Amino acid sequence: MSSPFTTLVAVLIFPGLSFILTYGLWCQWVSRKAAARLQNRQGPLHTGWQGILQPLADFIKLLVNEDITPAAADKPVFNYSPIAVFALPLAATFLIPIQSLTNLWGWDPIVSFEGDLILILFLMSVVILAVFLGGWSSGSLFGAVGATRAALMMLAYEIPLGLVAIGPAILAGSLQISKIVDWQVASVNAFFRAPSIQGLAVVGVLFIGVVIYVICLLAELELKPFDISEAETEIVHGWQVEYSGKKLALLNAGHDVKMVLAAALVTSLFLGGPAGPILPPFVWFILKTTFCVLVLTNLSVLFARFRIDQMVSGAWKYLVPLAVLQVMAVVALSGVI
Amino acid sequence: MSEREFVIPVGPQHPALKEPESFLFTVDGEVVVDVEARIGYNHRGIEKAMESRNYIQNLYITERVCGICSNAHQTAYTGSVEEAGGIEIPERAKYIRVFVQELERLHSHLLWVGVAAHEIGFDTMFYLVWRDRELVMDLLEEISGNRVNYAMPTVGGVRRDLNKDNFMRYHKILDTVAERTNYYIKVASTEKTILERAVGVGYLGKEDMIRLSGCGPNARSSGVPCDIRKLSPYLIYDEIPFEHIYVDNGDVLGQVLVRVLETLEAVKICKWVLDNIPEGEIAVKFNPMQRLPEGEAAYLVEAQRGELIHYTISDGKNMPYRHKIRAPTMANIPSLIERLKGGYIADIPITLAGIDPCFSCTDRMVFYDEGKDKTWSWTEGELSKYRKEWYSK
Repeated sequence: MSSPFTTLVAVLIFPGLSFILTYGLWCQWVSRKAAARLQNRQGPLHTGWQGILQPLADFIKLLVNEDITPAAADKPVFNYSPIAVFALPLAATFLIPIQSLTNLWGWDPIVSFEGDLILILFLMSVVILAVFLGGWSSGSLFGAVGATRAALMMLAYEIPLGLVAIGPAILAGSLQISKIVDWQVASVNAFFRAPSIQGLAVVGVLFIGVVIYVICLLAELELKPFDISEAETEIVHGWQVEYSGKKLALLNAGHDVKMVLAAALVTSLFLGGPAGPILPPFVWFILKTTFCVLVLTNLSVLFARFRIDQMVSGAWKYLVPLAVLQVMAVVALSGVI
Repeated sequence: MSEREFVIPVGPQHPALKEPESFLFTVDGEVVVDVEARIGYNHRGIEKAMESRNYIQNLYITERVCGICSNAHQTAYTGSVEEAGGIEIPERAKYIRVFVQELERLHSHLLWVGVAAHEIGFDTMFYLVWRDRELVMDLLEEISGNRVNYAMPTVGGVRRDLNKDNFMRYHKILDTVAERTNYYIKVASTEKTILERAVGVGYLGKEDMIRLSGCGPNARSSGVPCDIRKLSPYLIYDEIPFEHIYVDNGDVLGQVLVRVLETLEAVKICKWVLDNIPEGEIAVKFNPMQRLPEGEAAYLVEAQRGELIHYTISDGKNMPYRHKIRAPTMANIPSLIERLKGGYIADIPITLAGIDPCFSCTDRMVFYDEGKDKTWSWTEGELSKYRKEWYSK
């Protein structure tokens, strides 16, 4: 990222804004289509090849729709929270290593500094704050219930999510995502040169980590067993209920970006980031994140929705202790290797 | 109402309700404290409309009381008219009526299992169950020509015959349905997330259920044996060997169990009918202008949702003087409200769906003065006077 021009291109076009948005639409299509096929349906079919343009069509259609602000809503908060829900995950994706513009085999993120992992975790929490404010300010009872549920859910999954993300950071000895990726690449190479029992142990411990991480991400993304804050049949889409038109389009785009961010985080922290043989980094990034999206989709069609009390108590009874144990195991291992 | 409590409206328009009906939930946080039900958004004046049409025309009205139990309503209606008029129907017609009624029970219970899965957010099961329900729908379409309103029973018999050449194929389809149902029983009784949402949810004990006079699978899930097919057999149900299904779980899981086990029983009944159906006529002649002798008759049918009562009074004309329908959902609403109290908001949809409500069958109208707290009803003459005044304005 040497010249201002390449920085501008990186932020606005690739691998920044335009790429992430397009890729978010792709992830939405993959997710919808995979879920549909798993449920013996067709999914989107008519717009473009196999309905691949359907997410874009939905987005444009929502932009054209009438934009209603309820009279009872707290207008500034109600109007600005969709922007936050969209912009915060988008900002977080700038910290993810995808592809360097100057070097075909490099993957420097647009912004990178020691401690950017903490910033990402912080941004993901602030998104929930925006969600809460948006639902609460909408002046609807369903919105208020959905917002409360979203906040309660955050109390349950935020701690294991953060704890588990620290695991790779401890092993890599850095809180910088690109350094964590570098560490993974180096240790995988070392492992293939000289396989060792410690290496296998690290893989095992990190596997527990990735399982916990994915469960927490299902909650973060409000996917099926944890779509408690949306719960269409109970509270009519919860905190989103009063949003329409442009704001709903932004919320949906925000959800897509969040999906990309979640898949990208799993990829960067546990799957070796954009690194891989033969193909350039961004291709590997797309392959790995699409795989993550498929895993998330598959999990989300397998279960019925939990109740909020079941979800919170389950998270504190099982996920948090497991995450603590996993971190302890990581600390113990980091002394060995 | 304390400061922590607030009211959440569910309905008249709400995704958990497929038909307009209003429930006002007073909730404390996530816990339901009180429920207030208000019916009457779907009133169509069917009973009144029946009084000005002849007995054959009324067939088409009764069928359209409800989409899911269209055949149950027709069976009950034709039964009551035949009883009032002293019409004896051929033996083969009885078998065909039972066959269509049990097929309808099959598709209705499968539909309910899908809806229940959808209410607890298990959309995958919803899609798969509904795919298998198509087998039954196709079978019904082949037999009657229709997917929803089968128009099979008529006064004096049935309108279409079954073809013996197809019976082997029907057997195969029914076997597939039974096999799939067994699979869903396995899923529903082992899948952890389903059990979490079904066990102990919306509990109502046997004594309470009897006190609140519930009926159908709703009451049988609380251990009340109340299947009309066993208690007061009609058509040929006294000859058919089938089990009286009831469980004493009292919760949503009990309702699921009763329905899936009844699905298997319905398959058994259908297969028995195919094996034992006698040859012969399918209907005796009934002229649309035919007058019925003076008299009255009530006919009880075990519809998919419970005990369905049709009561007809004839004053010697070719149209009923009064025809009264008591749909099962009407009887289930008091127990539904008791089930909802003390539950979580998240359990409202599944508890509501648990009784398999059909509000279009249920809706009634009374006059009620809130200020004076009194109710009254109008006689025919008063209604007619009101109509004249309304239209002369």
